[in-house]
Amino acid sequence: MSMSSSRMDAGLPAQPNLRVTIIAADGLYKRDVFRFPDPFAVATINGEQTKTTTVSKRTLNPYWNESFDFKVNEDSILAVQVFDQKKFKKKDQGFLGVINIRIGDVIELTPEADDQMLTRDLKKSTDNLVVHGKLIINLSTNLTVPTRMPPSSTLPSGNSRPSLLSPQPSALSNGDRASERPSSAMSGPNGTPAVGQTMNLPHRPASLVSTQSATSPTVNGSGHPHHPSSTLSPFEDALGRLPAGWERREDNLGRTYYVDHNTRTTSWNRPTGTGAAETRNAEATTQAERQRHQNRTLPEDRTGANSPTLLAQQAATQAASASTMLHTGTTAPGTGELPPGWEQRFTPEGRPYFVDHNTRTTTWVDPRRQQFIRMYGPQSSSNGTIQQQPVSQLGPLPSGWEMRLTNTARVYFVDHNTKTTTWDDPRLPSSLDQNVPQYKRDFRRKLIYFRSQPAMRILSGQCHIKVRRSHIFEDSFAEISRLSATDLKKRLMIKFDGEDGLDYGGLSREFFFLLSHEMFNPFYCLFEYSAHDNYTLQINPHSGINPEHLNYFKFIGRVVGLAIFHRRFLDAFFIGALYKMMLGKPVVLADMEGVDADFHRSLKWMLENDISGGILEQTFSTEDERFGVVTVEDLIPNGRNIEVTNENKKEYVDLMVKWRIEKRVAEQFAAFKSGFEELIPQDLINVFDERELELLIGGIAEIDVDDWKKHTDYRGYTESDEVIQFFWQTVRSWDGEQKSRLLQFTTGTSRIPVNGFKDLQGSDGPRRFTIEKAGEITNLPKAHTCFNRLDLPPYKTLEMLQQKLTIAVEETMGFGQE
Amino acid sequence: MASQKRIAKELAECTSSPPPGITVFLPNDSDVHRWHAVLEGPEGTVYQGGRFGLVVTLPAEYPFKAPTVTFATRIYHPNVTNDSLGNICLGLLKPENWKPSTRLASVLEAVRGLLVEPLPEDPLEARIADEFRNDRREFDKNARGYVQRYAKGPVKFEGSGTAPAPAEAGDNKKGSSGSGSGNTGTSGS
Repeated sequence: MSMSSSRMDAGLPAQPNLRVTIIAADGLYKRDVFRFPDPFAVATINGEQTKTTTVSKRTLNPYWNESFDFKVNEDSILAVQVFDQKKFKKKDQGFLGVINIRIGDVIELTPEADDQMLTRDLKKSTDNLVVHGKLIINLSTNLTVPTRMPPSSTLPSGNSRPSLLSPQPSALSNGDRASERPSSAMSGPNGTPAVGQTMNLPHRPASLVSTQSATSPTVNGSGHPHHPSSTLSPFEDALGRLPAGWERREDNLGRTYYVDHNTRTTSWNRPTGTGAAETRNAEATTQAERQRHQNRTLPEDRTGANSPTLLAQQAATQAASASTMLHTGTTAPGTGELPPGWEQRFTPEGRPYFVDHNTRTTTWVDPRRQQFIRMYGPQSSSNGTIQQQPVSQLGPLPSGWEMRLTNTARVYFVDHNTKTTTWDDPRLPSSLDQNVPQYKRDFRRKLIYFRSQPAMRILSGQCHIKVRRSHIFEDSFAEISRLSATDLKKRLMIKFDGEDGLDYGGLSREFFFLLSHEMFNPFYCLFEYSAHDNYTLQINPHSGINPEHLNYFKFIGRVVGLAIFHRRFLDAFFIGALYKMMLGKPVVLADMEGVDADFHRSLKWMLENDISGGILEQTFSTEDERFGVVTVEDLIPNGRNIEVTNENKKEYVDLMVKWRIEKRVAEQFAAFKSGFEELIPQDLINVFDERELELLIGGIAEIDVDDWKKHTDYRGYTESDEVIQFFWQTVRSWDGEQKSRLLQFTTGTSRIPVNGFKDLQGSDGPRRFTIEKAGEITNLPKAHTCFNRLDLPPYKTLEMLQQKLTIAVEETMGFGQE
Repeated sequence: MASQKRIAKELAECTSSPPPGITVFLPNDSDVHRWHAVLEGPEGTVYQGGRFGLVVTLPAEYPFKAPTVTFATRIYHPNVTNDSLGNICLGLLKPENWKPSTRLASVLEAVRGLLVEPLPEDPLEARIADEFRNDRREFDKNARGYVQRYAKGPVKFEGSGTAPAPAEAGDNKKGSSGSGSGNTGTSGS
């Protein structure tokens, strides 16, 4: 246990001559997100004479006040180690820090009673686990009074030291508090954040946490980095703490407003206490959100393309496809056993189809089928021998490719990377392209293709996940981290603790709904809302405040993949850049608008204006503030010494955008992505563009065009103008995906506020949807996502408007449209 | 240093050749993101004779994001909130207008310009703006009354700004001890 056990006992007195009182520790490291440690301390002299305190339950600020007598000389080393009793049997023993003191350095071992109060920072041990906090001990050579016993036993009052007994943590950390900026109270001696410490609150954090734990188990009341300069956390104000789930913010005029994360709404009015009305209100909102969540769909579900019972009229086409496929490839009839959980059935017309009981889906395609590709003999043979090769031996299509059938059921290939099409299988040597269908983005077909891939097929067996509603994040984390990716691809059976009911879809829908509300909650400091509005989520660059954050990001990536795999939706919407990153696409300046509109504006200004003469005084570096500590980050090697000029500013802006959006969260994103890819292969997800990916994860909402229109403002137009009427006529004629895409184009997200369009938010507070008269009729419409604004030229005809609007909406250069 | 370098340079400029009627200093030498300034009420205006504290807060992303300026001293003005926050409505600082090339000296001069010529058509206090336009005599009287009540004597900075009082508040003349970085102005007159 100790590092110096070889020291000799020589020269030690026969009787104990030093009393060590282990009083308390302050601000221990919180290694678990959901639990506080049960700390106890172990004191040794030269690795011997081991004494152990009682265990203090669930706290980062344990108070023991227990005394032990030791035999020491002035060269003796006193080591006091703190452990988490819950983890003592684990490899690291739940180590929470150690102090080592050479007795002669701190106290005279003279017969006269000497008494030393020591406060020491806890240090790491050799295994380098991060530790934090201070340990307070007392050394005394006066052994005449009885020793202090564990708190359970009663003591004569005269023997205790009242000044030490009263829990006054402020006195313990006075030394570093006054000189530091408020937010740096979160930084430990190693620059490590102390989760669970509350900024500048005159209470013990433990007591704070216990009051919160009723609603949300791991809210720490601190650590939200949004207002580093404020002495109050965003979750409290002069009147005290805000109700659970509320956050205080300021707009650009310094006016305070309140964000209710429970309902994702904002208000100028401070929420009052814990009024029952608000709870009811929040419940009603959650119910409304749940309703919306359950109504979300994807096109293949709606059309039921692979369900014969729903689509008798498509049967003819499909039957045709089965036969004409022989033109380019052959579908050999399946033989042998069907895979587990599959059944062959026949339509009333006698056509066979296949039921997959694992996924409760039907398909015309025999799962045993072997598709053969006819292939002209490679370079070697000039005699034109035709070789046949099963498609399955060719491996998957390259990333971003999809296989489709024409209406005559001829196979062709779509490259979503370049938005081109070809008859040629990209896995085979190419021939000349002729009359191949034009590229057309088709979400529904992509989905059908995506779902039909072997990697997306549900495995036989069941995957049981049992969670408590009240601890859904914690329980899901434990369950899903425990299961293998293979297990997670089996049929999902969700069970809510204490509730009856078998999962025929409803429970897993509810599960993903509830879990997405929890795991993306900014309270956990894993995700935060973007500066763009109050809804879209981005990775919190300061999530490292939670030492386990990477495990959580991996878990969240798994959950997102799990939802896609099992065809469920999450009630979560990310900034556009995150979807692009998931697709491996580079982020560009336009993506910055969805992250930070003001920053975007300044960078854009810089590109468009003359910055010669060093007017900006910028170098290829940037400052990053973490927990009150400002560090300089070079964007390129030695960047801090390289001036930004007109000549190199383009590179600077590119690097800055990458740093702000990608590099600051690179670790977190890599963890997220690794979890995601365990369920969804990169190659397959790449058939989608970033807007489709948003819909794949969040589903397509039913959009109430009447509500949308009712809460739309016009600038330069009136509602009765012809072009406005064309606009709404067009919107009404579109399907759900197209409407969602228009919303993504104009507002940056397909999410609609739970109370409808009247609550639409812009980057500077509430912003209704606005159509402005701007631009020449030869131009495409433009969007300003941070103002929810569409610049619509006064097109003369309905056809012209439809054509231009469709092109604009289909374009996916970035979520932020210039 | 990205923004630090620019800020240091601007601070040096503002202290060595300060904008007219304005004195700038750091309340806390270790924090260049928070400036204090004392603005003399411009001559020939109702604010003449008053001394107004301004708190300038520079965001971490400065100059890519606009600074905020607030009055620490109460002032009766159509474009300044009539409360202890002292928020200012200044076109130059609105996010949509902010240009990263704008210097703080210009910002401070613009604030001073606002005292010389209020902009009642873009008010933060609509009632005061109405009064300014329609009953100038009453406005002048009220504005002078505020100067007498709040803007005489030592300038106080506590309780100002968008953030609650920081630890260093409570002393009104701190930061005048020239430190190693030099060029720290004298506080007050």
